[in-house]
Amino acid sequence: MLGVVLGVSSLIATMALTRGIEEGMHIFMQQLGGLELVKVVPNEPSSLMLEFANLSPGLTLRDAHSLRNSATLISHISPEITHTVSAACSDAGNSERRKARGILPDHFVIGIHGLAAGRWLVDLDIERGARCAVIGHTVANQLWPGTPAADIIGRTILLDQTPFEVVGVLPLYEQEEDTRARQLGKKPRARRWDPFRQKNEAVLIPFSTMFHEFRSGAFPENSMDSLKLDALTVRIGNLDHFRAALGQIRSVLDLSHRGVDDYDLETREDWFDRIESSVRATRLSGGLISAISLIVGGIGIMNIMLASISERIREFGIRLAVGARPRDIFRQILVESMLISLLGGLLGVGASLGLIEILKMISPTENIPVLTTGSILFSVAFALASGLLSGLYPASKAAHLDPITALRYD
Amino acid sequence: MSILEFEGVRKTYRVGEQEIHALAGIDLRIEEGEFVAIIGPSGSGKSTLMHLLGCLDTPTEGRMVVCGTDLSRATPDTLARMRNREIGFVFQSFNLLPQLDVVANIGLPLVYSGVPRRDQRARAEEAARRVGLGDRLANRPPQLSGGQCQRVAIARALVNNPRIVFGDEPTGNLDSATGRNILTIFKELHAAGKTIILVTHDPAIAAEAPRVIELCDGRIVKEAKA
Ligand SMILES: Nc1ncnc2c1ncn2[C@@H]1O[C@H](COP(=O)(O)OP(=O)(O)O)[C@@H](O)[C@H]1O
Ligand SMILES: [Mg+2]
Repeated sequence: MLGVVLGVSSLIATMALTRGIEEGMHIFMQQLGGLELVKVVPNEPSSLMLEFANLSPGLTLRDAHSLRNSATLISHISPEITHTVSAACSDAGNSERRKARGILPDHFVIGIHGLAAGRWLVDLDIERGARCAVIGHTVANQLWPGTPAADIIGRTILLDQTPFEVVGVLPLYEQEEDTRARQLGKKPRARRWDPFRQKNEAVLIPFSTMFHEFRSGAFPENSMDSLKLDALTVRIGNLDHFRAALGQIRSVLDLSHRGVDDYDLETREDWFDRIESSVRATRLSGGLISAISLIVGGIGIMNIMLASISERIREFGIRLAVGARPRDIFRQILVESMLISLLGGLLGVGASLGLIEILKMISPTENIPVLTTGSILFSVAFALASGLLSGLYPASKAAHLDPITALRYD
Repeated sequence: MSILEFEGVRKTYRVGEQEIHALAGIDLRIEEGEFVAIIGPSGSGKSTLMHLLGCLDTPTEGRMVVCGTDLSRATPDTLARMRNREIGFVFQSFNLLPQLDVVANIGLPLVYSGVPRRDQRARAEEAARRVGLGDRLANRPPQLSGGQCQRVAIARALVNNPRIVFGDEPTGNLDSATGRNILTIFKELHAAGKTIILVTHDPAIAAEAPRVIELCDGRIVKEAKA
């Protein structure tokens, strides 16, 4: 019985925990642009292709155009050129080296960006080559410490001495545990690697502006169309056609690059798979512990039932004598053992609520456990099943009693 | 056709190497509506015979027909059905369930014959009134006297309206006055048309039965019909 209580409560708690982790991961993945985000990056061609490498124009804005026209399975596309600049505010404050990125408005959709204040870059900014910028939280905070995002809109940021108007500020991106640690007044754990760094340190300017202000001078022979891109990010319209979409991208690029494999597709599949498999591992080990306690609980129930049967042999004799069939006795014992397990299961549900509260107190910065009705029902059903299984042997023992022997027994 | 028919019925128990012939060839016919007393010394096979008649057991050898059904090789389910519908059995030691009240004890056979729950209670109460226990319905067996317990057992035997009622020394655990009351109930049942078969040690009871069968060492040694 105690085993059933423990089994059910740990099963529910495990499911709530892994569910919490999963939801946290899901939000995290969405904030990073999700699985739909695929990045095309220039790459050294393989040794076989090296001789033909100069046949390919490389990754250019033309690729973006042809992908937009031909790859029907991708919904958004944004080229990207980067340029390291010194970023400073006009009030002669401190400056810092930042990687500015020239992009198209689709970039905001592809990366699933939010806004703390202001607006994203729009097509008009691109057409005009406007000197405007959307900056990340860290950048804003470093240039204008303590200033609310809304007040930063309209201020001037100097990128390599060129004034740009800040038109948008991105929200702070961080992982759930960091948010919660910050709310509790603790310092976030130091990380080797911050997945949101690129977003928080973003300095985003129109693609055309980037070209005219920073890149054309360096390569006068370049037109905007033939400029080598640093990356091309695309968003796949429907994940069901993920593979087909990758295929489309490849065939379009192979054509324009004349078969030279001087680019690479970076997807998040492997990375997200790793995250998911670690969630699965957590679930598996928690499930294993619960299963073991439920088995122990089942054996406990079996012992209770066996003891109760040997005390009640006369009762079964009497029931058989007045016309109970073996299967009636069998069913009676099964129902009784399932009632015991149900009771244990319900106590376990109560215990799991306490257990989850304790878990929350022990590690307040972890993902919040998410309790679902489904997991409760599943665990109680599991307990019932263990009651059913452990009742089988005692029930068959009781059902096969000989009425006369049973009546004589005392 | 006889309600009970035994032909060459034997019951042999094995205890280690030894074979005990509890019944060593019984031929017996009992007609519907008879009142039969079975007597004999201790160990003569009376209870064994009653268990076979009462469908609690099957014979080792021979043919046994109860209420027109051949039960010589019957399955446990068929026997259970016979016990439930055609037969009422009253034991010397009452065999009531102490945790159930009088109504539930009396209604127990109905649980296994698919009678709806509300009818169970009504029929159990009716059977209780028939044996004069209408005012003790909510009591449990430990709160009742021996005579009252045996009335509960009789009411339970009657609740499914069986054709035959068996009593294995039903008065054996009772004082003689109470025993006579119980016997009166059996005589009333006989008058109402039931077939009654009683095992008894009491010569006074045997004297009131129209037919007496005497057993010794697993055989019928004497039969008297009034
Ligand atoms: N289950 C059993 N196993 C072995 N021997 C038994 C069993 N039941 C009865 N007997 C033997 O069968 C004989 C008849 O017993 P029983 O029918 O109880 O006699 P009675 O009721 O007339 O006293 C006795 O010798 C008894 O010991
Ligand atoms: Mg006896």
